[in-house]
Amino acid sequence: MGINLSANKVLASIPYLLEGVGITLKITALALLLGTLLGIVLAIIRVYGSGVFRQFAIVYSRLIRSLPLLVILFMLYFLGSEIIDIPAFWAIILALALHTAAYQSEIFRGAIQSISKGQMEAALALGMSKYQGIFSVILPQALRRAIPYWANEATIVLKDSSLAYALGVTELMRRGEYVSARTSQPLLTYIVVGLIYLILTYAFTKSMARVESKVRIPGLER
Amino acid sequence: MAKPILRVENVYKKFKDTEVLKGLSLTVYEGEVVVIIGPSGTGKSTLLRCINRLTEPDSGDIYLEEQKIEPGKSNLSYIRQQIGMVFQDFNLFNHLTALQNVAVGPIKVKKMEKNKAMELAMKELERVGMAEKAGNYPAELSGGQKQRVAIARALAMDPKIMLFDEPTSALDPELIGEVLEVMKDLANAGMTMMVVSHEMGFAREAADRIVFLEDGVVAEMGSPEKIFNNPEKERTREFISKIARLNNGCKDQEVL
Ligand SMILES: Nc1ncnc2c1ncn2[C@@H]1O[C@H](COP(=O)(O)OP(=O)(O)OP(=O)(O)O)[C@@H](O)[C@H]1O
Ligand SMILES: [Mg+2]
Repeated sequence: MGINLSANKVLASIPYLLEGVGITLKITALALLLGTLLGIVLAIIRVYGSGVFRQFAIVYSRLIRSLPLLVILFMLYFLGSEIIDIPAFWAIILALALHTAAYQSEIFRGAIQSISKGQMEAALALGMSKYQGIFSVILPQALRRAIPYWANEATIVLKDSSLAYALGVTELMRRGEYVSARTSQPLLTYIVVGLIYLILTYAFTKSMARVESKVRIPGLER
Repeated sequence: MAKPILRVENVYKKFKDTEVLKGLSLTVYEGEVVVIIGPSGTGKSTLLRCINRLTEPDSGDIYLEEQKIEPGKSNLSYIRQQIGMVFQDFNLFNHLTALQNVAVGPIKVKKMEKNKAMELAMKELERVGMAEKAGNYPAELSGGQKQRVAIARALAMDPKIMLFDEPTSALDPELIGEVLEVMKDLANAGMTMMVVSHEMGFAREAADRIVFLEDGVVAEMGSPEKIFNNPEKERTREFISKIARLNNGCKDQEVL
């Protein structure tokens, strides 16, 4: 009976958890926006850049990918508290963005390099600049190809946003922790929290699959 | 013949250790159709690519009319606009329809108004008999259709000369004819053309001059009659009979 009562308490706190979803989504969306832009820029530099710029893109990707996200997050946060104050909310967004940008730069690099060389040559032969070739010819094709890999990376960002709990940001995971403590029902609470992540991920993956087929180039295999 | 459109002077090109072009010189005159033949690996593609600077020559000069073609200068894009290039494997932009493929050059490079560019593109597609497929994407077209769209794309820039690098050698035999027809029409319309091709029928009908390239230089050149029937060099004769056998059309055999 006591168990039932506290189980009900967990269910009663679902609206409270859902408010956390809003924050989770905000963090994820902003991190993805920044991370994707940075990832694309890094990939372009990797493929078409030269000298120190290209070297920087390579080192950046290798370095970031060898650090745990939590370490990046704490470094940013404490760098923040010692020099300029970065609010926890922005620390997690920045950390996620910097982190995913490294992985995404590899995704976009692969996609760009999978476009045949002849595409850029045809663009140049028409008199386009390299810049025009990249933006009018290569990226429209490469980005389409990258969609499923990008979508996968995006769900990782969504789930990784739960690390924000470590800084006390009251997103979904953090709220789960409160509920768990208040109700003494950790298992049930985290099942509910897990289900919410599952639903979010599923909905996102489904809609990205729709986007993918919507922008597919007619007649092309993939 | 009248004025030179393209002058290639003493061009050298080396890839690592292999010397490909060894002081090649060649002039193409206005309205002329030059067909370039030669063994595989002899530098035919490299020559065409050096002309519009997709490949950087090591030395030598190339002029389009009186303009020297040089990299790093702002005139490179301007020069390329005036040189149409048709590739062996088409290289149509996969994400654009046939119409957009033809219009994109004028829009992006010449900053032509979109409506005007689309009109122009439609006209060029009609010229190559592809107007009906204007809304199709490259992946929805046959090889021959793709190549005709690629020709229209180059024509839309209103080039002074068209370069063709084995435009039919990636095509199934039954699709070659439609592309050669378009090229013959172009030749008849007075377009200056430089065509790397081993299609003997086309060469005999459309070429003003055949250039036999071997070992990085022009080994021999002359009218189709001379090169096919009465070449000066033994090597030219050998090569002609070899491709005649490969072409295996009986029309080609009677030449020998
Ligand atoms: N980018 C490159 N890097 C290294 N070697 C190259 C490159 N491009 C061409 N070559 C070499 O230069 C030589 C000439 O090549 P090219 O493509 O110009 O010959 P081709 O006459 O067009 O031959 P084919 O009839 O087979 O098309 C070949 O030996 C080729 O391997
Ligand atoms: Mg070649």
